[in-house]
Amino acid sequence: MSGTLLLQSALAGITNGFVYALIGLGIAVIFRGTRIINAMQGEFALVGGMTASLTLDRLGLPLAFAALGGVAAGGLLGWITDLLLVRPTRRRGGTEESFLLLTLGIAFAISAGVLFLIGRDSRLLPGIGGEGSQIFFDAAIRTHALWLIAISALVMLLLWLFYRRTHIGLSMMAASIDEEGAASIGIDVPRMRTLTFLLGGLVGGLAGVLVSPLITIHYEMGLLLTLKGFAAAILGGLTNPFGAVVGGVTLGLIESLAVLSVSSGYKDVIAMTILILIMIVLPNGMLGKRTRTGG
Amino acid sequence: MKELAQEVPASMSPARAGSAQLRIWTVSLVLLVLWASVPLFASRSAVDMLVFSGLYTIAGLGVTFLLGQCGIVSLAQSVFYGIGAYSTAYCTTHFGWPAPVGFVIGIGISAAIAVAVGWPVLRLSGYFLALATLALAIIGQVLFTEWDWLTGGTLGIGGVPQLDLFGFVLNTPQRFYYLVWPLAAAVLLLHRNLLHSRTGLAMRAMRDAPAAAAVLGVDNHALKVKVFVLSAVLGALAGSLFAHYVSFVSVDSFGVDRAINFLLLAVLGGAKTIIGAVFGALFITIMPRVLSQFGDIHAVLFAGCLIAAVMFLPEGFGGLLQRLAQRAGASARS
Repeated sequence: MSGTLLLQSALAGITNGFVYALIGLGIAVIFRGTRIINAMQGEFALVGGMTASLTLDRLGLPLAFAALGGVAAGGLLGWITDLLLVRPTRRRGGTEESFLLLTLGIAFAISAGVLFLIGRDSRLLPGIGGEGSQIFFDAAIRTHALWLIAISALVMLLLWLFYRRTHIGLSMMAASIDEEGAASIGIDVPRMRTLTFLLGGLVGGLAGVLVSPLITIHYEMGLLLTLKGFAAAILGGLTNPFGAVVGGVTLGLIESLAVLSVSSGYKDVIAMTILILIMIVLPNGMLGKRTRTGG
Repeated sequence: MKELAQEVPASMSPARAGSAQLRIWTVSLVLLVLWASVPLFASRSAVDMLVFSGLYTIAGLGVTFLLGQCGIVSLAQSVFYGIGAYSTAYCTTHFGWPAPVGFVIGIGISAAIAVAVGWPVLRLSGYFLALATLALAIIGQVLFTEWDWLTGGTLGIGGVPQLDLFGFVLNTPQRFYYLVWPLAAAVLLLHRNLLHSRTGLAMRAMRDAPAAAAVLGVDNHALKVKVFVLSAVLGALAGSLFAHYVSFVSVDSFGVDRAINFLLLAVLGGAKTIIGAVFGALFITIMPRVLSQFGDIHAVLFAGCLIAAVMFLPEGFGGLLQRLAQRAGASARS
C-alpha cells in the first residue's frame, strides 16, 4: 500500500469523520438536553440539505442565503417536532422506547414526505470554494472538506461556550440534569427542552448543508446517517462536547482503512460492528467519565 | 385465534363463569367459521394479503414477545427472517433437499446466531440495545447483498419449490392460507402457555423489577438470551414459509425497513398482549394497501399512523381490546 494512497484515504476518512461528528453532535445536544436519543437527526440534515438545494435551484438565491435557509429549516423542524409531538408524548408519560419509536416514526414520515414532494433524485449543493481542492503531499482534499472541518470545529467550540458561559445554556443543562430542581429556581423546563430540540435541529440542518456538496442527498439517507452519527457520539462519549469529533474521526478513519484493506461493500458492516463493540466495551466512550444513563 | 384475548375473570361466580364460558366458545366458533370461509369469498389478492398477515404474525410475535415481556426492543428480526428464507431457498434450489431440511437449517442457523450475538449484545439495555439491534439489521442487509454466492445478491434466488403436504401442493394463496394461520395460531397458543408458566412469570418479574428478579434467582441475562433465541426461531420459521410461498427471495425483502415493520407490528398491536401480534400484522399488511389508493402519499400517511399510535395508543390495539373487555366484564358483573 503506497503512502499516498494511505494518506488519501486517511483524508477521506477524516472528512467523513467530521460529517459523522456533526450528526453525532446534534444527537449529543438533544440527548444532553432531553435524555432522548433522537432517531431523526439524519432527517434534520436531509431537510436542511434539501431546503438549501431547492432554494438555490428554484429561487436562484445566493449560496449563503440558501445555506442559511437550510440551517433554519432544520431548526424549525426541531422546534415543531418538540412542540407538536415530543411534548404531548411526554405529558402522557412516554418511556425511553416510546421516544425512540416516536422519533423513528417522524424520521419515516419525513423520508416518505421528501420522496413524495421531491422525488427519488439525489441532489448536490455547490461547495464552498467550488470544485477546487488542496494538495497535501500528493494527496488531494476538497477545499469544501476543509471548510466543513473548520466550521464543525467552530460550531463545537461555540456550543461548548454556550453550555458553559451563557445563562440560557446553563439553564438548559440544569433542566436536563435535575428537572424539579431547575423548575424550583424558575427555569421553564419544557421551554428549555424545546430550545434543545431547536438547537439540535439547527446543528442537523447545518450538517445537511455542509454535507451535501460532498455526499449527494436523497430521501433515504437519514437513517444510516443517524446511526453513524450515533456511533460517533457514543464512541466519543455522549456527555462530552468534543466526544463526537473524536468518535466521528475515529469511525471515519477506521471505515476508510477498512475500504482499503477489505472492500467498500463492507464499510457499513465494519462501522456497525464497531458501534456494537463500543457500546459493549466502552459504554462511556473514549472520553467519557461519568456513568452513562439510558443504557 | 381470537379466543386468546379473552380470559375468564377469576372473581366470577361459577354459574356466571359457565355462561361466560359458553359465550366465549360461541364467539370462538363463529370466528373460526368466519376465518375458514374467508378464502371462499374473498378475492385472491385479499387472501394473499392475509397470508402475509399470517407470516408476519409469526415473525412479529417474536418481536412482540421480546418487547412486551422482556422490555427488549429488537430491530434485528429481519435478519432471522432472511436467514430462514435464504436457508430454504438455497437448500431446496441448490442442493435439491426436501423442504423440512430448509426449515431445520434456517432455524438452526438463526438460533446459533441469536445465541452468539445475543449473549454479548443483550448485556445492553434501553436505547443502546435498540440501536445495537438496528446495527445488526444493517449488517444483515449488507451481508445479504454482498454474499451473492450464497444469496444471489440483488438478483435473489428464484424457483423455490412450492410446499407440498402429503401430495397436496400449496400453490395458491387460498391453500397456503390454511397452512399459515393454523401455524400462527399454534405459535400464539404456545407463547400464551409460556407466558403463564414459571418462565413467563420470571420474564415479567425481570421486565418490571430486574433487581428483585435477580434476588429471587432469575438469571436475567440467560433468560433474555433464551427469549431472543425463541424470537429468532420464529423469524426463521416465518422466513422459510415466506420463501416457499413467494418462491423467490431477494435482499429487498430483508432490509432494515422490514425490521422496522416488525417492530411497528409489535407496538401497534400491543406488545404486552400475545394476540396483539395478530392485530399488528393485519394492520401493517392491510393499512398500506388501503392507503395506497391515495397515491404516492401513502407512505407518509402510514408513518403518520405510527406516530399517532405511539402517541395515543401506547398499549396498542391488543391493550385497547383488553381494556374494553375488562370494562365489558366489569359491567356484566355489576
